[in-house]
Amino acid sequence: MSSESENILKKIWQEAVQIGRPLRFMELCGTHSQTIAANGLKSLMPRNIKLIAGPGCPVCVTDQSDVDVMVGLALGGIPIAVYGDAVNVPGNIMSLEQARQKGADVNIVYSVEEAMRLKNSNPGLVFFGLGFETTAPMTAWAVKNGLVVYSAHKIFPPAMAVLMANKKIKVNGFINPGHVSAIIGTEIYKKFKIPQVIAGFEGLDILRAINLLLEQILSGKAEVSNEYTRVVRKNGNAKAQKLIEDVFEIGDAKWRGLGLIKKSGLKIRKKYQKQDAEFIYKDLIKKIKAEIKSKPSACQCGRVLQGMIEPRECPLFGKICTPDNPQGACMVSVEGSCNIEYRYGKK
Amino acid sequence: MCLAIPGKIIEIKKNQQATADFNGIEKEINISLVEVKKGDYVIVHAGFAIEKIGKADAESIKSLIK
Amino acid sequence: MLVWFLLKEVVILNIAMAKNNTIELEMGAGGKKSNELISEIRKNFKVHGRWKNTADDGATYDLGKEKLVFTTDAFIVDPLFFPGGDIGKIAICGTINDLAVMGAVPIGISLSLVIEEGFPQSDLEKIMASIGKISKETGVPIVTGDTKVTEKGKIDKIEITTSGVGMAQKIISNGGAKPGDVVISSGDLGEHAVALLATRFNYKTKIKSDCQPILKEIQSIRNYLTSAKDPTRGGIAEVLNEIAGKSKVKIILEEKNLPFKKETVALSELLGIDKFAFPSEGRFVGTVPQKQAQKVLKILQKFNKEAKVIGRVEHGKGLYLSTNLGSQKLIEMPRGKLIPRIC
Repeated sequence: MSSESENILKKIWQEAVQIGRPLRFMELCGTHSQTIAANGLKSLMPRNIKLIAGPGCPVCVTDQSDVDVMVGLALGGIPIAVYGDAVNVPGNIMSLEQARQKGADVNIVYSVEEAMRLKNSNPGLVFFGLGFETTAPMTAWAVKNGLVVYSAHKIFPPAMAVLMANKKIKVNGFINPGHVSAIIGTEIYKKFKIPQVIAGFEGLDILRAINLLLEQILSGKAEVSNEYTRVVRKNGNAKAQKLIEDVFEIGDAKWRGLGLIKKSGLKIRKKYQKQDAEFIYKDLIKKIKAEIKSKPSACQCGRVLQGMIEPRECPLFGKICTPDNPQGACMVSVEGSCNIEYRYGKK
Repeated sequence: MCLAIPGKIIEIKKNQQATADFNGIEKEINISLVEVKKGDYVIVHAGFAIEKIGKADAESIKSLIK
Repeated sequence: MLVWFLLKEVVILNIAMAKNNTIELEMGAGGKKSNELISEIRKNFKVHGRWKNTADDGATYDLGKEKLVFTTDAFIVDPLFFPGGDIGKIAICGTINDLAVMGAVPIGISLSLVIEEGFPQSDLEKIMASIGKISKETGVPIVTGDTKVTEKGKIDKIEITTSGVGMAQKIISNGGAKPGDVVISSGDLGEHAVALLATRFNYKTKIKSDCQPILKEIQSIRNYLTSAKDPTRGGIAEVLNEIAGKSKVKIILEEKNLPFKKETVALSELLGIDKFAFPSEGRFVGTVPQKQAQKVLKILQKFNKEAKVIGRVEHGKGLYLSTNLGSQKLIEMPRGKLIPRIC
């Protein structure tokens, strides 16, 4: 163990004892949940500090209806391109991977540029635009360069407002997303009156962030600290923000598990209609949406995503719902809380 | 998935592309979201550089990751 | 109209299907689902008499003073040619190595080819020459074989199956690791995966596939090994979990001693694929008693200076990583979907 991490852990323990009462810190980024799990950080925490995963995994919060639309388009013969994990997220009927197994042309890509290369040989290609402010600029760039996109992109701060308003959650501090913040900067978080630290992706970054949260609590502050200064600047990435602003407008969006959150989604502006799958396939999408009925499910993703219950408290966890047979998005993505708990949790 | 390894820009190409070296793996990336020159280090997400990172920071991350 | 009809059809079909009853891609990639498929298949066959198959790298036949070891493997690789080798090289090394990690000296190999109509003769020549080269170097002859050609489109280019027979004085079991042993690796791992994935995803790197026969190395320390496996499909996540499970021990790897080059770590991060599941095609990992460790390493480092101790064996169960931050993290049996057609 490096001396810095030893020292920070020592400090964390001292501060936790000083504070005494139980504290709950929520990390808001799926990759942070991964880092915490991969480094076994929960096992290093003092007993009164609990780390809970929030709705920071963009694949996990993709609503069933958006998956249904993409599945419908795919089964209807339209070639689809999508980022990795999203291919396994179950819609109300099936996932895109299952559609692929039934013969649909579903392609996994690692970047929008790959999707654009695919489009050259498949002119009708539709890209499933997923993710928060980190991936929205790439999608925006691709829209401007001719890619047709179905946008299920979301912006992060409105979800934080919902979490803070939910009295059942009782969060004492947030670990803010690293790369979302690299794009949007640090100032936008100031409206949330709760201790927050923007953190990087190494285990040491998270430890530093927890330490900073404890220091804030000890001094009665509720500020936005930036632990990830090497990448995150106060004003974020202006070029990326301009691109988002040019291509997208803000609309209401459905978040899996959290329901409809006003002004939290990014929809393609009218001037880029020709690249908007929602516009091009308006009638087909209407039919798909009308026909799909929400499948009632005992999946508790919504409550897990908000930190209201632990994955193990879900009745399906580990029994019907496993990474091989995911019932909800939290189990699908490697950044989903249930998936992480299943793989790394005590057996 | 957020990538933590910084890439070093080793060649600027046309059409907003660049070749970045990630600890010995060279990859083509899109640099339309950043202002960079040869020798700069960047953080990359989904094939695009999203931010520059200082050399000292880049070196310390690289050594942490081995 | 047609689109709508299609969608309805599929909806009805899906509702009617109570369970997915087709073979999934994931089942062939190594890991949990693969093992489940193999168990299902084996339910139809009984191994009896002097034959023993403990789901090891090969089956053994007791001949009294010695044991006959028999192994087989099928190879579908994409791309066929990659930095450091080709499908032929992997095929012959794969079978020689499977025999070697069981403690056997290979005495003969069979070679079966299924070739797609239209496959270039020059490519076939190159692949056969690769096999011939390794056969000559190791002194292991190709003694029999079969060749079939299918119509275009019925198979993807070429599929190779090699079976091998060897003789062993003593079998190196997977179930022999003991608490107090150390875990050694014969060199840096995962470079076969790096070479193939880099080629497939268009990345440039100096890393070549680590594909090679490991017969001499294993033979040189055969008497010290309490367990050994070559981490091909599924990487060390798979094989060390197997060893821990069969030996009924706990294996702990040290994060600061992990046998991965920086390129391997970088590619793992770039693609979001777990490096612990990266296959190697010319390496082995195993356990030796603590007090033999230095002697064993000295011998192995003559073959590969990157051979080192990567962990230890304790009482308990499971495979763990002791992180640089001081915590212990579980390393699971890999989920299969990871890397199709890499070996």
